[in-house]
Amino acid sequence: MFRYFVNLLCVTFLAGGLLISLGCGGKQQETSVSSTPESTQQSVPATSKKIKVAFITNNASDFWKIAEAGTKKAAQDFGVEVIFRIPSSGTAEQQQQILQDLITLGVAGVAISPKDPENQTEMLNEAAKKVNLITQDSDAPNSLRKCYIGTNNFDAGVEAGKLIQACTPPGSKIIICVGTLDAQNARDRLEGLKKQIASTNHQIIDTRTDETDRAKAIANVQDALVRYPDVACFVGLWSYNGPAILNGVRDSGKLGQVKIVCFDEEEETLQGIKDGYIYGTVVQRPFEFGYQSVRVLKELAEGNASSIPENKQIFIPTLSVTKENVDAFWSELKQILGKS
Amino acid sequence: MRKILGLVGLIIALCLVAYFWEWFQWYQHDRDLGVLFSSNFLSLTNFKNLFPWIGLFGILALAQCLAIITGGIDLSIGSVVCLISVISCILINKGEGWSPFLVFPLVLCLAGLIGVWHGLLISYFNIQPFVVTLCGLFAYRSFARFFAGDTTQGFGNALPNWKWLGKGTLLDWFPSFQPVSGGSSSTLAMIMDLISAPLVIMLFFAIIVGLFLHLSPAGRHLFALGANEESARFSGIQTRRLKLLAYVICSFIAGIGGLLFAFKVNSVQPSDFGNFYELYAVAGAVLGGCSLRGGTGNVIGVILGIALIMVLRNLVNILGIRSELEYVVIGGAILVGVCADEFFLRRSQRKRTLEA
Repeated sequence: MFRYFVNLLCVTFLAGGLLISLGCGGKQQETSVSSTPESTQQSVPATSKKIKVAFITNNASDFWKIAEAGTKKAAQDFGVEVIFRIPSSGTAEQQQQILQDLITLGVAGVAISPKDPENQTEMLNEAAKKVNLITQDSDAPNSLRKCYIGTNNFDAGVEAGKLIQACTPPGSKIIICVGTLDAQNARDRLEGLKKQIASTNHQIIDTRTDETDRAKAIANVQDALVRYPDVACFVGLWSYNGPAILNGVRDSGKLGQVKIVCFDEEEETLQGIKDGYIYGTVVQRPFEFGYQSVRVLKELAEGNASSIPENKQIFIPTLSVTKENVDAFWSELKQILGKS
Repeated sequence: MRKILGLVGLIIALCLVAYFWEWFQWYQHDRDLGVLFSSNFLSLTNFKNLFPWIGLFGILALAQCLAIITGGIDLSIGSVVCLISVISCILINKGEGWSPFLVFPLVLCLAGLIGVWHGLLISYFNIQPFVVTLCGLFAYRSFARFFAGDTTQGFGNALPNWKWLGKGTLLDWFPSFQPVSGGSSSTLAMIMDLISAPLVIMLFFAIIVGLFLHLSPAGRHLFALGANEESARFSGIQTRRLKLLAYVICSFIAGIGGLLFAFKVNSVQPSDFGNFYELYAVAGAVLGGCSLRGGTGNVIGVILGIALIMVLRNLVNILGIRSELEYVVIGGAILVGVCADEFFLRRSQRKRTLEA
């Protein structure tokens, strides 16, 4: 008797699931047929409802918390609804899933930070046919994206190069620490940095990657200090590399003997600058990424593309934070994040 | 015994390879510049760097080996590490929150409860360990991200004494031995500097787990259960309760590992803190002679196994092998180790049958 009931239940569930999946499939087909002309979909503004726009990051970090604050501010200022999505594993295929889901949700535009721009171009183009797609933080220049909003990472690299030149004598040896080198922003930063330091004969003696494992990032620094006792300066290209280098140098008992230059504004990095152990950091303005992305997407949804320049790139300048301006910068940051 | 000797041999062989590799690099590049040869790999500083990592990952491997000996596996270790560190960071709130004496026992109880949950599902509901802990792998990290609101957590400048557990050495207790800056340190000070806290904690747990596994009746029963659950049950062993116990200890030790990792790194990003650590633990346990089929394994082997993996990771950096190739080296070395073991096992078996 019991077994009979269990069987019945299973069959009902299976049948129900089948029906639901069929129903969804049918619906999806319908929308794809009706949305063939691109322009029609864009020119239908949601008059009764708020315009919905989405923001997709490439991983989870404080950086994106600041961007989120920017999108919230813009949502208030422009009266739009913002959906903020953080892919947990930070992989390209998860971004694809999120992007597809958001399009199904019916957003008017998406701002995405593509993880692997070259290989994601096809996916981005697919999405760009259905919604207004812009890239932020990391660009995919060969895709059909409407524009790019973010840092010019090459210029950011040049700024970091200037910091290195300011804190070490010409010809010094430097080591680069980064999560992975296959991200475009890491490559561009490195190129800019190389170009800037070429004039003073600074040499990059090694580049170590840690696949975003923070424990390993520290071990890399310790090992590098063993292998290259004469290294003058560590450069951390990604945000967590700053604190990791600081920790590694501290564990090796070489605080103050080795200069540190890094990117972004992790709390420990700023504390390190205050304490004088980190020379400086080049910060992007993620708040502006969020704010401007929402603004542009809202304008695009209303059929207004006037704020997009000819080259389709909106650059938000970086800022070099050193001991002189760290206090002012930090208090402003705390205000944005709502921390006391 | 053969296993342990083999692993020690492998580690020594690796050290020799590294030494000669460095010598070769020196011979090619620096010899003519009048630079004297000195090995970076076989240097005090390097071992001082290496030992804490062996300790930290060793603790996770010890946890893993308990699950593996029962014939199961715990894939959730990395996520437990993440969850435990995130929760303790949040509760302590850089020294302004709860007292660490309250928080740490609490989170370790939570780790134990996770183990109870795993054990109940595995032994009383007969769900496969792989599935149960795989779901844990997904869920606990997600919980951690939720609790932390996806922001990076840390202890800040608080708890300097607790952090000693993750990164300190014996020398920190004897400031009088510490060399004056610029001066050379005594041999005793150098040795004390090598004895790092995580390594000692790992050895402590190794002794406890070793005593439990190899000398207590419950430990012997655990091996019996791993080898053949059915026959163990028929010979009167409380297999279900025992299995539950194994998973509880496993998660509890993983929780302690998590705290130590948080002390050491002091920057816990919920989305990737502890990622893949369970696989390092599995690799260490397997290299150390635990069979994934269950029923075999010993504590000394596991520690040597994880030490070998950490030495490999360190070697890649010290020898300046490109970072991209790191996992080729690690994967290749593990495979060679396991294959060599199998080869020698078969040869000794053949010899024995020939003699008989």
